[in-house]
Amino acid sequence: MLMIDRRLLTNFDLILAGLVIVVCLLGIMNIYSATTPYKVIGTAYYIKQLYWMLAGITISMLVCSVDYHILEDLSYWFYGFLILLLLAVLLFGRSSMGAKRWLNLGLFNIQPSELMKIVIIITFARFFNNFHSVGGLTIRDVLFPLGILALPAALIMKQPDLGTAVLVILIATSMTFYIGLRWTTIVSFVCVTIPVIWLGWAHFLRPYQKNRVLDFLNPERSRLGSGYHIIQSKIAVGSGGIAGKGFIKGTQSQLRFLPEQHTDFAFSVFAEEWGFVGCLLLIAIYMSLVLWGLNIARRCNDRFGGLLAVGVTSMLFWHIVINMGMVIGLFPVVGVPLPFFSYGGTSMITSMVGIGLLQNVSMRRFMF
Amino acid sequence: MKDEKEKWARVRIVIIGTIFGLMFLTVVGRVFYLQILKHEDLVKKADRQHQHRVELTPARGSILDRNGTPLAESIHMDSCYAEPKNIKDADGTAAILAPILGVPKQELVAKFSSNKAFTWLERWMPPYTALRIKNMKLPGIGFVPESKRFYPNIETAAHVIGFTGRDPNGLEGIELRYDSTILGNTGYMITERDALGRNISIMNTVFKDSSPGKNIVLTLDKTIQFIAEKELAKAVTESNAKNGMALVMESDTGKVLAMANYPTFNPNSYSHYSLAQLRNRVVADSFEPGSTFKVFTIASALDAGVIKESDVYNCENGNYRIADRTIHDDHPHSRLSISEIIKYSSNIGSAKIGFKMGEERLSRYLRNFGFGTRTGIDLPGESSGYMKRNWYGIDLATISFGQGVSLSTMQLVTAVSAIANGGTLMKPYLVERILDDGGNEVQHFEPQALRRVISPETARKVSKMMETVTGEGGTGTKAAVDGYRVAGKTGTAQKVDPVTHTYSPSKRIGSFVGFVPADNPKLTIAVIIDEPQGVKYGGVVAAPAFKGIAQNTLAYLKIAPNMPTTKTPKPVESKNAPAADPETDSDDTIDDSTNDGAVMPNFRGMSMRGVMQVMEKRGINIRLIGSGRATEQNPPPGHAIKGTGAVWIKFTPSA
Repeated sequence: MLMIDRRLLTNFDLILAGLVIVVCLLGIMNIYSATTPYKVIGTAYYIKQLYWMLAGITISMLVCSVDYHILEDLSYWFYGFLILLLLAVLLFGRSSMGAKRWLNLGLFNIQPSELMKIVIIITFARFFNNFHSVGGLTIRDVLFPLGILALPAALIMKQPDLGTAVLVILIATSMTFYIGLRWTTIVSFVCVTIPVIWLGWAHFLRPYQKNRVLDFLNPERSRLGSGYHIIQSKIAVGSGGIAGKGFIKGTQSQLRFLPEQHTDFAFSVFAEEWGFVGCLLLIAIYMSLVLWGLNIARRCNDRFGGLLAVGVTSMLFWHIVINMGMVIGLFPVVGVPLPFFSYGGTSMITSMVGIGLLQNVSMRRFMF
Repeated sequence: MKDEKEKWARVRIVIIGTIFGLMFLTVVGRVFYLQILKHEDLVKKADRQHQHRVELTPARGSILDRNGTPLAESIHMDSCYAEPKNIKDADGTAAILAPILGVPKQELVAKFSSNKAFTWLERWMPPYTALRIKNMKLPGIGFVPESKRFYPNIETAAHVIGFTGRDPNGLEGIELRYDSTILGNTGYMITERDALGRNISIMNTVFKDSSPGKNIVLTLDKTIQFIAEKELAKAVTESNAKNGMALVMESDTGKVLAMANYPTFNPNSYSHYSLAQLRNRVVADSFEPGSTFKVFTIASALDAGVIKESDVYNCENGNYRIADRTIHDDHPHSRLSISEIIKYSSNIGSAKIGFKMGEERLSRYLRNFGFGTRTGIDLPGESSGYMKRNWYGIDLATISFGQGVSLSTMQLVTAVSAIANGGTLMKPYLVERILDDGGNEVQHFEPQALRRVISPETARKVSKMMETVTGEGGTGTKAAVDGYRVAGKTGTAQKVDPVTHTYSPSKRIGSFVGFVPADNPKLTIAVIIDEPQGVKYGGVVAAPAFKGIAQNTLAYLKIAPNMPTTKTPKPVESKNAPAADPETDSDDTIDDSTNDGAVMPNFRGMSMRGVMQVMEKRGINIRLIGSGRATEQNPPPGHAIKGTGAVWIKFTPSA
């Protein structure tokens, strides 16, 4: 705690903190509406989300209080530990809905795949910080990071948790782009990826995952099966119109036509009740947050910090775009929450840890 | 070198930012597409999902008589429904409701366990039952107010008003004809349902689109209608007839004041009656008119100038052979004036006048009177009657006295009204005004003259002749109303057997049609008695009902008598004496000339007692020859009396 001096406090990134808190509060308000038709026993969802937010803020304060450079040394240890946890999940994990994602640690459950999103950022930052190439990364250059990525991605895929695996890959890819790739690398990568996707489709994807992709490509394929979610969500969003139906007045959400409306489809509820105007506002806030994150990376003086900021920002960005894209029918239904907005402790904590890292990088930009 | 790398790192940040920004814009574009461009489409889809629409019986406007007395009203009653998805204890709920609804419990259990979101339990529930169930506050059982048609006057004017079905469209009468006006918009009860199909929270129930219909004000007068129905019922029962019709019309305007059928029905429970009982025969049935039709033959001939009032016809003593047929008169006469042809209802006289008119002219006149075409009365199912296009052989003769032609009571009264009002055929109508639900007038119907049929002179002359019918010796004396001059005509027509298409030997239609007061006609009234038993003459079976309707209606309308009322035991003869003279202009002329002691009145057709009363009153000494009714006199009517010896009246026994 010695590291927090007055200079750090004066550099505290209020814009970052402000944007995050606004989204959190909008999210809590929206969860209040989305769970109104639920019969809740015990603490209401929006109260719980408030607790998660406070816990998240506390954790993010802790994360930003320790100078992020310490992570450079710890990164591979984290990575190794997480790989062990992922293996443990496969061996001893708690099953729910056909997937093993949770590890019971006695007092509480953790989801190692979720933590992997943060750890892959730190690991990639650590690797690229010490790796220097001229004129962009060659294929040889990316082989090692590809290996670092492939191991956890395969383990997560095995759980199976397609959404998280895709996110981990997207985060790592974004960071690699930030370092810079040669054109030859990009082209040959594409040439390799397409057959791999075909192989993956044929041999690794579970039937429900295939169904989701097929349903996305043609929602009419099964109206009441997996296509139902996309159709219902589009109806809810579209019927909101310009001004929306009003707070707690969304018919599709209040009458429970929406699936998982307080978690993955929270944006659907918001769009129905606040309309296009509300959506523009929320998207604008998210976009500001993402662009601000990139700005933090841009003005950061050291390469490690920049990589961390790009990694965290891309993590937030891909969550946002995939979730919204899913809700409005641009992407298939993958279980990706909207950061700070969907109900759920895991997502809140992960996102807040990310914000803690961003804040950490942002307020220490003058340290050199 | 390091700066170079830094620069490239910043460029790549900008590239990443641009890509991220573009993807955000894609999201915004997609949201715009869904929320703005596809909005209406998706709203419809949303509504279809979460709204459940139940059609409600729309309210109907009232039907009122011309004084605003309701003849048909809509009342609100509770309809009870169930939402099976909201009923948790189907068995228990069914056990409670089964005895109240009077339905087997199993039936209710089946309803409550069904997959439907909504089902009616009982529509238009009696208020007490509804209240009892409401107080139980059973989950999944609800009520909605719906309208129900109610006819407060039971049978009065039932055939005119008609009735409505359950659905609630008008099925007969004004209810049918003005259905689109009376019927309000169909309303909906919209309940919201959730993804599981449960109707949720009655708070969200909205009633949409329903609006009350318009009110119809008829030309009908409930009191006159009541009078007509009462008199008709009496006439039909007394003559043991199959059924009967009566129609009262305002002579000048064509407004229908009363339209009665007997037997009638109760529109509140119309399903208990046969179709025949529900039919409004006044407009829907046509029949051969018989003698009443002679009036139109003679009116046409007078108007065409083919005959003159003073013409006298040889009535062949009751047997007149034309081609292969012989025409008979019930009361044989040798010579009759035009007026007497009406008065004694001579078929032979009418046939001869018909021949004089010729087929082409007569049929044109009759069509002008409206025969063979619908009157356009605002009721459904009107009959046009039957008028042959081409008349063969004896047709001209028989049509002249009302055989081989058929008409509806509506047509008959409309045509007689044309004579009563001075020669104009009015379009009959029943609806005077249409009011919106706030009672403001939306539409007003004015009398509508269709065409001039005969000249006012002709009308006046025929009217005079028709007065003799109710006068001393006429066929319709029972229709005479004390204190008023009554013009009319009796009819006794053979019915055509629908199976053999020949005239039935025993079945008759007795009728009387006329107007009062004859000198200033207000009301045209017809009474038709179908298949009377015993005495079948229209003058016997229908005329008394005509009198009853006329007398009571005149009193009700406060139309003052314009003739001295005599309370003597023989009022009919004394008051009809002057009226029996169609060739003098008016009573006054007779009185004036009597005072001068110079002019001979017309005594033809009067009984000996009537003649003596006039003699006594005027102080004339006349030689009376024979017995029965006066047939000849000297000097002729209107001529000066010169000395006493030459003054005589010859009486002929009547058949």
